[in-house]
Amino acid sequence: MDATAEVIALVGIGILLTALYLQSESFVDPLIRAIALQSLLLGVLLGWLAWTQRSVDLAILAALAVGVRAAFIPLFVLRRQIRAFRWRVRELHAAHRVTGHALAAVALAIVSWFVFQETLASVFPQPGAALPFILLMQGLLMLATRSNTIVQVIGYLEEENAVVYAGALFSQGFPLFVEVVVFLDVLGVVLVGVILSIQRDVTGSPEEAVLEELTG
Amino acid sequence: MIAIAPSFWLFLLLIAPSAAAILSLVPNARVSEGVARAGALIAFAAAIAVLVTNASGAWGPYLGLDSLSDVFLFMVTGIYVTSIWYSRVYFRALSRPFLTAQVYYALLSAFAFAMIFVLVVTDLGLMWIGVEATTVTSALLIILERKPESVESAWRYTLIASAGLTIALFALLVLYTATGTLNIYQLAANPPAVTLPIEMAVALALVGYGTKVGLFPMHSWLPDAHSEAPSPVSAMFSGVLLPAALYAFLRVYRVLPTPAPAVVSDLVIAFGAATALVAAFLIQHQRSFKRLFAYSSMEVMGLAVIGIGVGGVALYGALILLVAHAFAKSAAFYCAGNVLRTTGTNRIDEIRDLRTTLPWTSGAWVVSSAAVTGAPPFGTFLGEFLIVVGAVAVGLVWVAGVVVVAVLVAFLGVNSQVGRMVFGEARAGTTLAPREPDSGWGIPYLNAAVALAIGVAAIPYLSDALRSAAVFLGGALP
Repeated sequence: MDATAEVIALVGIGILLTALYLQSESFVDPLIRAIALQSLLLGVLLGWLAWTQRSVDLAILAALAVGVRAAFIPLFVLRRQIRAFRWRVRELHAAHRVTGHALAAVALAIVSWFVFQETLASVFPQPGAALPFILLMQGLLMLATRSNTIVQVIGYLEEENAVVYAGALFSQGFPLFVEVVVFLDVLGVVLVGVILSIQRDVTGSPEEAVLEELTG
Repeated sequence: MIAIAPSFWLFLLLIAPSAAAILSLVPNARVSEGVARAGALIAFAAAIAVLVTNASGAWGPYLGLDSLSDVFLFMVTGIYVTSIWYSRVYFRALSRPFLTAQVYYALLSAFAFAMIFVLVVTDLGLMWIGVEATTVTSALLIILERKPESVESAWRYTLIASAGLTIALFALLVLYTATGTLNIYQLAANPPAVTLPIEMAVALALVGYGTKVGLFPMHSWLPDAHSEAPSPVSAMFSGVLLPAALYAFLRVYRVLPTPAPAVVSDLVIAFGAATALVAAFLIQHQRSFKRLFAYSSMEVMGLAVIGIGVGGVALYGALILLVAHAFAKSAAFYCAGNVLRTTGTNRIDEIRDLRTTLPWTSGAWVVSSAAVTGAPPFGTFLGEFLIVVGAVAVGLVWVAGVVVVAVLVAFLGVNSQVGRMVFGEARAGTTLAPREPDSGWGIPYLNAAVALAIGVAAIPYLSDALRSAAVFLGGALP
């Protein structure tokens, strides 16, 4: 196995582990740090690929992964949302079923792997190619099962990581991919920086309120 | 006589709303409104020119027009111009809006620009950027009225729509890796062999873009965003944002040969049928009239998706349905805005005897409600009828049955509720004196008239373009 393949495999395993950890944690602050770590791992992988392939596009993607999704959004914007009560913020509704989440995440990872092998493996024959697809599904699971808005942002960031992971590893040459990722990051910043702040100002909490008007 | 190149209209379509978005930020609110109106009018005029000249062809690697984009451009710019016009009436009544008038008009113009961009680009990657741009530009518009519900709705909308669109992006990655291009004309000229990865890419695109279209079960953002957004924005959401997302899916779907492989078309029909039925039955339980119309939009999108999946005449019906629905539903939302401003509530149970309070608006509301639910002779009826005919023609009788049930249930649900609000007797002492606003009731009549004209094929160039678009997509004409 050459060095690049080893880096891809090692970092891939690290990213998968962070994805499973994200499903099993109910405290918000560790979740924020875990998504920062996942983005950092992705950034390291992209940086390695950029160096070995002398690719400016991959270098930009690496910088975005580290600068925006590992540092700016999680550590600066998201942690500010829970600054006053960082160590006791947890997702109350999810807390009692964390074990169930973790088991569902593992089961989904296995199912995703089989689906990928059956449908997409002929297009992506590289070893470990199923990992971005598994990561995408893990992000969706997080969005579907969590109700805390900050945790949902983390699910969104995980989805974005999955797409960048797939695009950079297996679909190089995809037109305007860097621009697409910049756009996703802009949306991420709009999501957390603007709407989350407004939500806190208007409702007084980043937690989801029960709103009578939004039923039916 | 000087012949104007189609590329001129295309660039005008892009420049007018983008310039309006920038220039609307001038300090003076009235100037801002004037600029926004001018931009919308110019874009609409350019769209009509495109329709009349039957403009088609590619300009450079990224821009192009064909009969399908011509039809959608007419629809998007038509609702854009009426929403900008109606905004003055609506904005004036707001006591403490979250956005200034300048920012509101700038965002509304940018939102329209993003949709127009989706329709004129020929690269599926750029198209995806356009669809995502609609989320960025429209999310803040939902918060205009500064309510906790509005913020929550904007939040759900942004998050769920974006999550769906990342799936659509993954679909494009698969498609690109399998084919080596995302240019729609190259894909049409050299269609890829139908393989499992290609079918998977189309299925992922259905789920991804379907989230933005409001397909069940990814629809949960739709009723919230449509009901909490200001009425001119709701009109653009229901009337043209959902079809613009569906347009992006149609472009991916067209990668497949005609007829599409059964496994994919069955999946499309299943999503459409589930959406139409779920929405039709949810309509019966709504307490807010704006949510009522939001679910009605979801039902219509379900029917249109069924038409796409069935193909043939049903596809032609789906296109007619989308265009007629855009004008009819925007009319219904403008009326809803008048009612909300006058009564101060969106609760159906608290509103009665509108025919006395808002005689002109009530008339338009009854007409537009009938139009959105497929009453003859509106274009929606023609579209739904053709979908049923198309389904029966290819032996999908159960699909025709689903369409008929969904249409009837939605028709009864929407019109009985609107009927109660307009004609129901007010409780003693609660009758309001007539309070029809000076303006704002004429636009719904205009849009409902367009929906009617589509039904009787009275818009010559549009009728021709609709037929061309159906043939272009591999559909059939009756």
